[in-house]
Order: sequence, then structure tokens, then C-alpha cells
Amino acid sequence: MPTEPPAAAPVSTPTLKDALRQARDELIQSTKLARGGFAAVATYSERLDDLIRGIYATARTHTDTPHAIAAVGGYGRKHMCLHSDVDLLIVFDGSIGAPEERLLKSILHPLWDLRLDIGHHVRELAEVQTVETDNPEFLIAIRDARFIDGDAAVFDQFSDHCLRPGSPWEAPTLTALRDLVTQRHTQFSHTLYHLEPDIKDAPGALRDVSARHIIDGIAKPGRPAEFRAGRLAEAEDFMLRIRSVLHLERRRNLNVLSHELQESVAGIFGSPGDPPKRQVESLMSAYFHHARIIARSLAVSVKSLTSTSQTDPTPISDDLLRLGDEISFTDGTRASLRPRTWLGAFEAALDQNSAVSDQALTCIERHGERYPPEQFFPSSIERDQLLRVLHPRTGLYARLSEMHACGLLGRMFPEFQKVYCLVIRDFYHKYTVDEHTLRTISNVESLCTPKTRSRKRFSGLLDEVDRPELLVLALLFHDVGKWTNKNHSEEGVRMALGALRRIKLPETDIVTIEFLIRHHLQMSVTAFRRDTDDPTVVHRFAQVVGTEARLKLLCLLTLADVEAVGPDVMTPWKEELLWRLYVDTYNHLTLGYGDEVIDPNAASLVALLEERPDDIERPALERFLDGLPQRYLRSIDPARVFEHARLARNLGSTDVRCSLEQTGEVWELAVMSVDQPKLYSEICGVLSFYGMDILRGQAMSNAHGVAVDVFQFTDQDGFFRLNASGPDDFRYRLQDVVAGREDIDRTLRPKEQGLPRRRSNGVKLVVHVDNQYSDRFTILEIVTQDAWGLLYRISRVISRHDCDIDLVLVSTEGSRAIDVFHLTKAGAKLTDSDADALRATLETALEGPS
Amino acid sequence: MKMIKAIVRPNKVDDVKDALAKNGISGMTVTEVRGHGRQRGHSAVYLGSEYEVSLLPKMEIEVVVPNDLVDDAIEAIMQAARTGEIGDGRVFVIPVEQGRIIRTGEKNVV
Repeated sequence: MPTEPPAAAPVSTPTLKDALRQARDELIQSTKLARGGFAAVATYSERLDDLIRGIYATARTHTDTPHAIAAVGGYGRKHMCLHSDVDLLIVFDGSIGAPEERLLKSILHPLWDLRLDIGHHVRELAEVQTVETDNPEFLIAIRDARFIDGDAAVFDQFSDHCLRPGSPWEAPTLTALRDLVTQRHTQFSHTLYHLEPDIKDAPGALRDVSARHIIDGIAKPGRPAEFRAGRLAEAEDFMLRIRSVLHLERRRNLNVLSHELQESVAGIFGSPGDPPKRQVESLMSAYFHHARIIARSLAVSVKSLTSTSQTDPTPISDDLLRLGDEISFTDGTRASLRPRTWLGAFEAALDQNSAVSDQALTCIERHGERYPPEQFFPSSIERDQLLRVLHPRTGLYARLSEMHACGLLGRMFPEFQKVYCLVIRDFYHKYTVDEHTLRTISNVESLCTPKTRSRKRFSGLLDEVDRPELLVLALLFHDVGKWTNKNHSEEGVRMALGALRRIKLPETDIVTIEFLIRHHLQMSVTAFRRDTDDPTVVHRFAQVVGTEARLKLLCLLTLADVEAVGPDVMTPWKEELLWRLYVDTYNHLTLGYGDEVIDPNAASLVALLEERPDDIERPALERFLDGLPQRYLRSIDPARVFEHARLARNLGSTDVRCSLEQTGEVWELAVMSVDQPKLYSEICGVLSFYGMDILRGQAMSNAHGVAVDVFQFTDQDGFFRLNASGPDDFRYRLQDVVAGREDIDRTLRPKEQGLPRRRSNGVKLVVHVDNQYSDRFTILEIVTQDAWGLLYRISRVISRHDCDIDLVLVSTEGSRAIDVFHLTKAGAKLTDSDADALRATLETALEGPS
Repeated sequence: MKMIKAIVRPNKVDDVKDALAKNGISGMTVTEVRGHGRQRGHSAVYLGSEYEVSLLPKMEIEVVVPNDLVDDAIEAIMQAARTGEIGDGRVFVIPVEQGRIIRTGEKNVV
């Protein structure tokens, strides 16, 4: 209920000017000390109240009609900055005639003379019986109506009509508010991240706070302030303090925190002694921190208007349930004591295409700080759950954003928290470092549903990547090193290694992520700033990358990273440059590697020789590696190189030595033997006989005639799993076949004849023969649908054409097999007619029945 | 005054910028463009399939210079952008009737 204000004495214009000047001086003094927040603007608002009361003391005599004067809008909220509009509502309990007009003029003219910007609404009480649905600004402005002077009973009647709980004005007000918020946010592209934000209108700025208060005032009248209310008040105060400075500096009601004004505001807010750039970065970091609090707070309130609390909960597990389209904790108290279960809420939300509820997020936010990072990953179960969560799919960005907003991401990985709201000031990074990071992941997510033909090329790469969650993990850490002024790639590696070892990620995965973080700028620098028409540039880049798998990951990371700098940064022009570098490098790695044998003086070889085990003598290792392609050392880790060298030791002409190891579902076979015709075909035949599905493989030989064949395959039919002696049977048969004691063609013939005709499944057969790319080899590239015995059939055709298979790279990506053979015939490249004949036979063999 | 429009390789922009700066020319407009000259692009192979790369990514640099600096500017651009290979680009010179600085209204100042 409004209280009757003390009767004010009439005041003259010079006195009014003095009073206003004094009020403004007070606010200016506070603003210059960075204290132009709540308290200062409220005091200034009250000074204006007094001013208006002084004017009204003279004007009130013009009419006997009961009336009330109220502040509305920002003035009603007491948020008056130096040049804010003074929004007034004058309500009459009776019709408006000449005396009432005189009253209005007597109030408004002195205010205009003071050069205040006045917005005024005049109503009769009878008018407010009808809801003004066509005037959304008025509906919203009166929610903050505050009595200033006049007849308090008239204001009470107005409030009773328009503002009481249950009033017919409420629903239209909420509708109008939501529409206006949407329109306003659309103007700002629905993001709070702007290089020059509008402190009043942008998402996460002052109007959003006001909207949130109005929604809660209507939806939850009399409800106690919630957990985040304190932080919201801090955020609002921060925004008001900035706005006060903007009004002081611009001398107008302009609220854009421009680059220029960021320096002025930072100078007032900042720490003395800090360089201006640092002060601005701190200011903008604080701005985005507070804007996020406001934006999230409003989002929660808006969501509450449409919540489906009537829906019955559906249990998901002991800890989780689904309510409407949200995942909640079954028991918040129990969940607060079991941080290892929190990640499960996000996984369930991703699985069910839902959001995580505010109940769960608030629980995590409240209790997260009690737990050190280790407690979120007590075992490999939680680590594997994290990897599942990070697998690119629809909703990943939204869930990670929730995880970050409630603090869980920063609790699990304090390394990531280091870049919370971190601003690097330049004129093209639109987002804070943490938001940039999450947007890189959003960009990977969007490749799951590519919108353009150009993007489908990159989307195809994502499909071909074995463990895309490692890409997401690398993106999560790729910029964490920006918290210092050091080389951020190296600092990022250092920080990521700590985090990844803490969650006990396998070392091979860590090596991949380490590579991606360390080189995350390399591909964009090469593509956009180097002459990629120069083969040397591509050659050097290929040497850094090493393998196609890493190339694909780095290409995707680069695309996602550059695109997340700002909305228009990854232009189609840059996309084309990136793709061209990818293709040139891919071709170099798959078609051109045969010409690059291991350099005896290469640093990598010297290091390998130094770290060799005692049982391998240096000359033996050097002899084994002599003439092998550089690719061998890039793709095979040292421990396996040493194992291969042991197998190749004193190899007899009919010896076949192999190692067979299992990692998870994948088996790796390494075969060492003296190189001979049909060898590769025979090994493939034996693998086919046992029903093994070859995923990847490479074959090569050294300068001393030792063939090195390495295959990764899965045991599709479970032969090894179901037969304890399976691996030994395999070895014996392989030795018999290579030694000529068994004809694998004859063994396989019945099985081949019994297979049904293959279907293409959308993979178009490509058989491409290139006699230009390599100086030493004819290169045969085959892309076709994967099928049983495919490699065996291809290599058998090649052998029947009397071609020698010098090098092989095979990979299977989904249902597509990509095989690259480096061939010679009688020690030289194939003639064009030989190449044509081989291609024709292969096309017939691969298009015909299997 | 003349406008010099140069189409150069993307990686040569910084070299051209530096070369112009040494000749006292600092203002410029740089645009990402795609096109082809007489070489009309080329074909590339990926996964065994050939495809045409008909429009190649290039950078377009526009500078407006006084008449007495035109030859020096062209020479600077050509030296900085040349590799000797096909695809180094083009330089065009176009007459400019008038120029204004929007902020001050100053006339014919480059």
C-alpha cells in the first residue's frame, strides 16, 4: 500500500534546476567512483520524486477530480540513470476535462523546461476496466508502477484493477512480455556475446532482469527469493554501474558499450596500474559473467511459464527420472552426496533428446564446490560415461552449456574453469574463450546434420573418424592455455595432460589429443597463409600430421575452431582453401608416401635407436628399417617397431613370423617374411578364411627384402573367442599357405561360390590408376563397398596380372572400403596398357558377383 | 587518382601490404574472391574420383593512389606477388574521378 507522501512546498524553476543539478551531481560523483549502481540510481530516482512533488504542490490546485501520480517503467523500479526517460502515469478518478488538462500541463511543462525526457501516460480509472492488449509497452511499464503523489486511494484502485494477483491484465502482460523479449533478442541474433554490447537491450542486459522480475512477480507472487537471487541482484547492480558511466560519458541516453567506451568504463572500474588492455579484458569478462547469470535467470523464468508439472514422472534409473521434457534427480538430497552420478543426468538428457531440469542443475550448482575433480571420476565407468557424453550428436552443445552454467564442467576440469568468461580483446573474437570453446563443439555437432553440399564433405570426414569424442575432448582443451600470456598451444597441452591423466584416459588417446592441441593452429595457418600450390608446403604439413586419421581430426578441429571465432569468419572461400589443403595432404599421405623412405639421419630414427631395448642391436634395427617408408615410423609406435624387428631377426626364406594381439574388439596382426609374389594376397586369404573383417592395414618391404604386413581386424564370427586354440590355428595355416603347403584359392573357392550376390548399398565403385603421382610406383586406388574377402579378391587379381604389390594402405569406413596399392611390374611402373587392363579386370571382378 | 585492383594469391597479401607500405601506401581494401584466369582452374583427385577445381581462391586488393605513385605501386605489387608460376594473378588500373573522406568531407584525399 502506498503511503501518503509529505506535502511538498511549491518551488520555483530556478530552485528546481538547483535541485536537479544537485541530484545529478550526487549521481555523477558516485558514477566516477564506479558506484553508480542500485543505491545511487535509487537515490537519484527519489530526488526526482521530490522534484515532481515540488512541482505537483503548485499544480494540484487546478482540479478537484481525485487523481494519483505514479512512476512507471525504469523510473518505477528506481533505475534512473543520468539521461533515462522519466516515465509517469497520471490516473484520474473521473473524466478528463479542461481542469485536468491544466494540471497535466502544470506538471509536464516544468519538467520539460528542466530538459528531462518525459514519457507520460494519462488514464481515467474507468478506462483500466479494459485490458490494453494492443499496448504491450504500457502493459509492461505499469508492472513497476510506484506511487509518487496525489490521492493514494486512486492509485490503490488502479493497482487493484491492473496489478493484483489474478487480475485479467496478467495473462496479456505475460504474452506481451514474451513477445517483446523474443523481438528484442532477435535483434541481437539471440546471443549475449557482442563485441559492443547494449547494456539495456541486449540478451543478458538490464531489460532481461526487468522481464525476469515481472514474470516472477506474476507467476510466483509472494514466493521467497530463490538460490540465485543474490547473484542476479549483483549482476543487475553491475549493469547499472556501467550504464551510469555510459550516460555520463555520452551525455545522452545511449547504452552501447562501444570499444571506445569500454576503455573509459574500464578506467573507472579497473585496477590502477593494470595496462588498459588488461583492464578492458577484465571488465568485459565481468560483463559476460553477469550477462550469463541474467540470461539464464530469465530463461528459467520463461521456462517455468510453460512447465509441464502435470506430467507423471517416468523413472529412468535409481537416480534419474524424466518429467515432461526434462531429466531430474529422483532424490535431490541423495544426488547431492553422489557427484559421480551427475554426469548421468546429462547422458540421459542426450539419449532422450531432453534438457536437464533446473532442479538437477541447481542441486549440482549448490553442492559442486564440495567435491574435488577426482571424485567425479572414481573409476573407468565414469570416464567412459564422459566419452559417451562427448560423442558428437544433436543436443551436445546445449547439454555442455548447461553443464558449464551449473559449474559441473569447471568442477570436473578446473583447467577449463581457468578460461571462464575470459575475454581476449581483439576486433574479431566475438565470444569469450569458454563460449568459443563450446561453440567449436557446436560446430562439430552441426556436422551431424550438414546443411550445404560443401559441408557434407566435412561431415563425411566426421563419419570416417574412429573416435570423434577425442576430437571433442581436444576441442574442450584446445584454448585453455589462453589464461596465460605463454604460447597457449603448449600451455594447453600441459594443462590437458594433467586433466586427461587424472581421468585415466588410455595413453594412445592422450597422444592423439596432445597432437591436436599442440597443432591446432597449424592447418589454418598453412591453408590460409601459405602457398599450398607449392608441393613443399604440403609435404611439410603432411610430415607434421603423419597419418590420415590425424589429418581428418585436425581438419575437423580447424573448421570448428575458425567458425567459432565469429559468425562470418569461416567463409566459403576459407572453407575451400581448407578442403584443398586436406585433399592435397590426404593424397600426399596415401599416394605419395612410397617415395619417402626413412632417412638414416632423421631425428626420429636417431631417438628410436637410442631408446632400443638391450636385446636389439643397433645394426640389426638399422638394417630392418632400411628402405621402409617414413610412414612406418609415423604410424607404428616404438614398442611395436621393436617387436617387428625381433620377428624379422634372421628370417629364413620360407619363414613366416607373426604376432597377434588384441586391444578391445580389435586384433592386430603383424607378419614378417621374405617378400615374395602373392604374399599379400595369401595373408588376406587366410584372414578371409577365418571370417576376419579387416579395418585397416598396411604392407611394405625394406631394402633387404623383408615384407612387413600389419592388419587391424575384428573377429566377426568369434572364431578366436570361441576357440582357445584359434590364434595358433591361424598361425599354422598362415605358415602353410605362405610356404606353399596349402592352396588358399582352393580352400576358399567353395565359400566364395556360396556367397550371395553383393548389393552396392550406395557405395559407388571407383577404380583409379595413377601413373603420375609417384616416381617409383603405379598407384591403384579403389573405393568400394566393404565385403567378405574383398582385399583377397583384389590382391588376387593384381597378382594374376603379374604385378608386385610394394605398398598397401587399406581402411574401412563404415560400409566403404578404401584401398590404395603401390604397384610395380618387373621392377618398374606399369605401362598404360597394363594399367588399363588391370583396371578393367578389377572393375569386372568388383562389380560382378562375389 | 587511380584505383589499382590486384588479384593475388591468398598467401601473398601480407607481402603486398608490406611492399605498398614501403612506398607510403597504407590504406587498402582486401576481399576474398574466387575466379580463374587463363589456366581455368584444374582437376583434382580425391579417393580415386576426379573433380574440377574451376574457381580458385584468390585475394583482391584495392588501393587508390595519386597519379605519380601509380607506377611504383604496380611495381611493388608485382614484385611482392610474383612466384613465377601460373596463377600469380593480375593487376588492373582504373581512373578515379573523385574521392571523399566521409568523416571530414575532405575532397580528393587518398
